[in-house]
Amino acid sequence: MKKKLLSILLTTAMVATLLAGCGSKAAEPAPAAEATEAPAAEEAPAAEAAEPAAEAVTLKWAIWDKDTTPYWQALVDAYQTANPNVTIEMVDLGSTDYMTVLATELSGSGSDFDVVTVKDVPGYATLVQKNTIIALDDYISGAGIDLSQYAGATDQVTVDGKLYELPFRNDFWVLFYNKDLFDAAGKAYPTNDMTFDEYDALAREMTDTTFGSQVYGAHYHTWRSAVQLFGVLDGKHTILDGQYDFFKPYYDMVLNEEADGVCRKYTDLKTEELHYSAAFSGGDVAMMNMGSWFIATMISQLKDGGEYDPALCGNWGIVKYPHADGVEAGSTLGTITGLAVTSASAQQDAAFDFVNWVSGAEGAKVMAETGNFPAIMTDEVANIITSLEGFPADAESKEALNVSNLYLEVPYAENVSEINSVLDSYHGSIMSGEMTVDEGIAAMNDEVGKILEK
Amino acid sequence: MENVKQISEEKKNKIQEMQRELDLLIRAIGDERDPVQKRKMSVRVDTLHRNISHLKSGKLMSREGKRDLVAYSFIAPNFIGFAVFTLIPIIFAFALAFLQWDGSNPVQFAGLDNFKELWTDTFFRAALKNTIIYCIGTVPLTMIASLGLAIILNQKVFGRGVFRTLSFFPYVASLVAVTAVWKMLFHPSKGPINNVLYTIFKVPAESLPQWFTGSLVVLSMILFSVWKYMGYYMVIYLAGLQGISSELYEAGSLDGAGTWQKFRYITWPQLRSTTFFVVVMLTINCFKVYDIAIMLAGGGSGELTPSGTVLVYYIYQKAFIDWKLGYSSAVAMVLFVMVLLVTILQFRGQAKYEKGEA
Repeated sequence: MKKKLLSILLTTAMVATLLAGCGSKAAEPAPAAEATEAPAAEEAPAAEAAEPAAEAVTLKWAIWDKDTTPYWQALVDAYQTANPNVTIEMVDLGSTDYMTVLATELSGSGSDFDVVTVKDVPGYATLVQKNTIIALDDYISGAGIDLSQYAGATDQVTVDGKLYELPFRNDFWVLFYNKDLFDAAGKAYPTNDMTFDEYDALAREMTDTTFGSQVYGAHYHTWRSAVQLFGVLDGKHTILDGQYDFFKPYYDMVLNEEADGVCRKYTDLKTEELHYSAAFSGGDVAMMNMGSWFIATMISQLKDGGEYDPALCGNWGIVKYPHADGVEAGSTLGTITGLAVTSASAQQDAAFDFVNWVSGAEGAKVMAETGNFPAIMTDEVANIITSLEGFPADAESKEALNVSNLYLEVPYAENVSEINSVLDSYHGSIMSGEMTVDEGIAAMNDEVGKILEK
Repeated sequence: MENVKQISEEKKNKIQEMQRELDLLIRAIGDERDPVQKRKMSVRVDTLHRNISHLKSGKLMSREGKRDLVAYSFIAPNFIGFAVFTLIPIIFAFALAFLQWDGSNPVQFAGLDNFKELWTDTFFRAALKNTIIYCIGTVPLTMIASLGLAIILNQKVFGRGVFRTLSFFPYVASLVAVTAVWKMLFHPSKGPINNVLYTIFKVPAESLPQWFTGSLVVLSMILFSVWKYMGYYMVIYLAGLQGISSELYEAGSLDGAGTWQKFRYITWPQLRSTTFFVVVMLTINCFKVYDIAIMLAGGGSGELTPSGTVLVYYIYQKAFIDWKLGYSSAVAMVLFVMVLLVTILQFRGQAKYEKGEA
């Protein structure tokens, strides 16, 4: 009896301390958050004016790949120069599973991040649903930010009328091509206005399957977005539809190209884990569709001391994405990278000031100077990028940066993370030949249908 | 004052009552014939003694209580660690299977919903199927391979030490490195294995096996894991073999037993407990498979298609990508029950055999 009693006592004591530990931590930030949130609207503009006198603030910022991505440090340096009282402490979570690690970090109550970078929309959806980041609408109206400068990107990540992130980087997909290969084959370069049929024909013309001097007319990276999302460029479909028959022509196109040796096989790419940059810089790929982030990589890696051989891929250019018949040229896919303020942060005002600065005009300039595409695209910003040393000099390449319609790879939806997993999974099944295109699409329709029904 | 008096009065009554019972018992104990009853009675006598002295002394805690407390305090450091890092998480995981939780928002009760959802979940069924096929393939093959190796390398063959080391090598080698080598060997268009099939066995290029996709993924995983882990189980079998007395073999030889008969009637029965250990460990490790699937079939992005997905991967995906912790715990429960069932069956078999032998 006594033993039992004692053990019960011990266990209850332990459980109680555990609960108390969790409880007090969880309870702590709540009143603080309320207290800071209420006067936020009035304080935000005031804070900017009273900057020099302000007390020292340290903000913790979650990022990835600090050493290989030049803009993080550049942004921090520029912001700290403008706000000497603020210290930004960067925490590198790595890029491979950044959103998973971040969501884990923000779960429960142990996190002390103030500002977090949001890498993709499924990850954004997770953070919003977990209530780990705050709605910025009061701050946005308080600071008088004009959301139209983001060209509609913010509309696609609005959740129930509220916006939880401000984009600071906006990449869109273009077609990279290797001019030397086109010169050698005596073919005309791709243009800024190509239909998919023209693109497919050009890729086939460029292909040379002779052993030892192979040239691949096209290259598709293993991502779902590199093939499937040709289908959403007409603006009539999105990946949240639940009916994916519009993917079919593009899967057929790519799989036929694969069968004819126009592009590398998906199963080979998967097995050897070939990176798209290695494929393009190897000098045997004539055209490759990829995001504009690759421009910065190309420029920096072709410089002296870079890893790419200029003899293989030094003469490159970009054009707009090919488009379906009857669709305006310049319609392309976009990916936004945003900044959000955590709900656990005790200094949300200061955090928002940083978010506002990075995603605003000044941050945009810093981004452009490092060869990256800020979310605010003005003529000035475009000029900075196109006049960078190493950017292709031809007029077509400069024109390629003018986007007419931008569709996010993944717009916000409640179940976007699960839909994403399903589509990724069957993309793999179709591309590796486990399923025919029709079977794969039917499976996508079924499985996403189940998710949407819930 | 009256209250205290009343209590002491009550106490006195209680003591008297117990004293009476004690006296009766002591008298009865002498007459009792049944040893079981006798022991029970003497235990009761002890308890009564202790209770009476406890009541009389009026102390808060008896000597036995103190002794127990000291004992508990000795195991407390270990037990608290175990409770915080193992016991409570396990209990929590069980509870989670019946809840809905995303790690941040309030927990909701879900009843059996999570389990109901499992049966209509295509990806869960694919993961379950692949895991079971993987186990059925891996366990016997690894066992046979490691036993064979152990028997060969237990004899006085030339270069025995070298071969023992070589067969243990894959187990020591880093998984990431050896999967990279396997992927090169089995590369669908450039790998030497498919090249041999193409040039020597004249398999047409279109029908060359795609080792890391479709129905072959699980086969590749089985082959890989047999190759990687047979060295480890070989060492266990070697230890078992060396524990068999050579007298048995001598006696067998005198009776004219051949090699096969010696194996069948001496080695195999003597290795029974080793085999039991090997099979249990193998089964548990097989159900836990995750790393091999990700490294062989994940293709860099670490995403598995329905043909290569396994239960642990699905648990991870549901928990940390989709943040459905309740649902993922339900999947984990299925895994737990399967491992438990297999292990219980094996224990039963083992116990039955030992009984039959005795």
